[in-house]
Amino acid sequence: MLKNVRVDHLQVSFNGQDVLQDLSLDVSAGELFAVIGPNGAGKSTLLKCILGLLKPQSGSVQIESDQKKAVIGYVPQSRVIDDETPIETKDFISLGQSSGLLPWLSKKERKSLKEIMEFTDTLRFAKKSIGKLSGGERQRAFLAQALVRYPDLLLLDESTANLDPAAQEEMMKLVKKVAREWHVAVIFISHDLHLVKEYADRLLLIAPGRYEIAESTEVLDQPETLHYYYHSELSMDHESTISVDPMIHAQFSETVK
Amino acid sequence: MFQYDFMQHAFIAGTLIAIMCGAIGVFIIGRNLSFIAHTFSHIGFAGASFAVFAGIDPLLGLLLFTLLGALGVGQLGVRMFRRDASVSVILSLALGLGILFLSLSNVQATFTKTILFGSVVGIDLQDVGQIIILTIVVLLALAIGYRWLKFDSFDQLGAQAAGLPIRWISIGFLLLMAIAVSVTVQIVGALLVFALMTIPAAAARFYTQSIFIMILLSVVIAVLGVWFGLTVGYYTNAPVSFFIVCFVSIVYFIGMIYHRLMERRRTAVTRS
Repeated sequence: MLKNVRVDHLQVSFNGQDVLQDLSLDVSAGELFAVIGPNGAGKSTLLKCILGLLKPQSGSVQIESDQKKAVIGYVPQSRVIDDETPIETKDFISLGQSSGLLPWLSKKERKSLKEIMEFTDTLRFAKKSIGKLSGGERQRAFLAQALVRYPDLLLLDESTANLDPAAQEEMMKLVKKVAREWHVAVIFISHDLHLVKEYADRLLLIAPGRYEIAESTEVLDQPETLHYYYHSELSMDHESTISVDPMIHAQFSETVK
Repeated sequence: MFQYDFMQHAFIAGTLIAIMCGAIGVFIIGRNLSFIAHTFSHIGFAGASFAVFAGIDPLLGLLLFTLLGALGVGQLGVRMFRRDASVSVILSLALGLGILFLSLSNVQATFTKTILFGSVVGIDLQDVGQIIILTIVVLLALAIGYRWLKFDSFDQLGAQAAGLPIRWISIGFLLLMAIAVSVTVQIVGALLVFALMTIPAAAARFYTQSIFIMILLSVVIAVLGVWFGLTVGYYTNAPVSFFIVCFVSIVYFIGMIYHRLMERRRTAVTRS
């Protein structure tokens, strides 16, 4: 079981340009931690450092877990799925069960695969090709593949970005359930402030050269803070939807794209 | 037909090679490495020609050149070699080297024909032994690395995020591919390695979406192709590799038509 995720004084730069500067944060088991900020702020770079895909110039990432090596689940915004080689969803999800030496799944592995597929509601399209799934179904399959490894930490990189509002809600409800019931730490990147407000326990606001950790999502009700990070007149009205000046909204949408 | 030793050898060697190619082919297709496999066969041609020039066993030359080629591709990165230009440069260079070594070694034209188009008549008991050992090595490695290879071949981003050593998996697979190409060249020849290494796997994906069944089907198609080629080749005295290519290509096109019909049916059901 996970104890803590600690990012300590992380420093990353590309071609002499600082992307992350002295970034420190802690995320506990069962917590939903959001990362928000404009494009190019270093959000995905942070996730890559946590995943171990990118080596920081200085600083460290420590994942304290009961297991010998902490398991990290990763759900991206999209993946390149080769439609020329269609594989069924069940097979795609079981790719995550990569730790055994035998080519076939053991009885225990088959049982846990079925449980995860039931939990993520992917069993109903188990035989369907992964390439033929809708956006929402595909994200569920990606999540199931991450969960089948029973992760200590779950990283979501804009994984709800291409979904309609209903599918976004469903996905986040599932993620919240994983965090609370499995005591998994969840770090998710999102541009959807409504979703962040509803689901995050704490959040990191990040922009080039600055960051702050907000202990609650109330910070999203402060237009000046959002302006400071997004350089746009972003605000959230009382119905928790993003309310933006039409001109700025157009600019923001461009940035998000 | 089976009263002749050379036909017995051809059937044993051909069946083993078909099993190996059918299995490895699914990963070649999954990793989009078809043209690198084709390039390896040309590197193998240069290797076999070098072996004749140096007076060593052609299989050794094949293995030496293709394994070195695999290490080179692995070091420089597979992505670079997926580009058309890089593949065509290496392919031409390998063919050129092969021609140079052959001209220097003063061999008969039949040897060139054998390496380029394959031969079943020349397979003796020693060759069968070598083929058995190499096939077992490749199949065992595929079985042991199956889960990692499957993950990396069909979802590389997921495999990388899961912490799998994808660079080593890639190099290991290229080395296996190099061995498989070296063995296969002896039956179908450098120019038709595609016939056994990629067409059966490419055909299998039209009939199933399960990776394991895809491997089984690919093996069955490759084995039937080799048996068909050897049998018809024996009775007609025409090239075996031609009949192998014909068989697997027909299965491929039938699969393509079947797949399209199924897709249309699914679309019609969804609309209604």
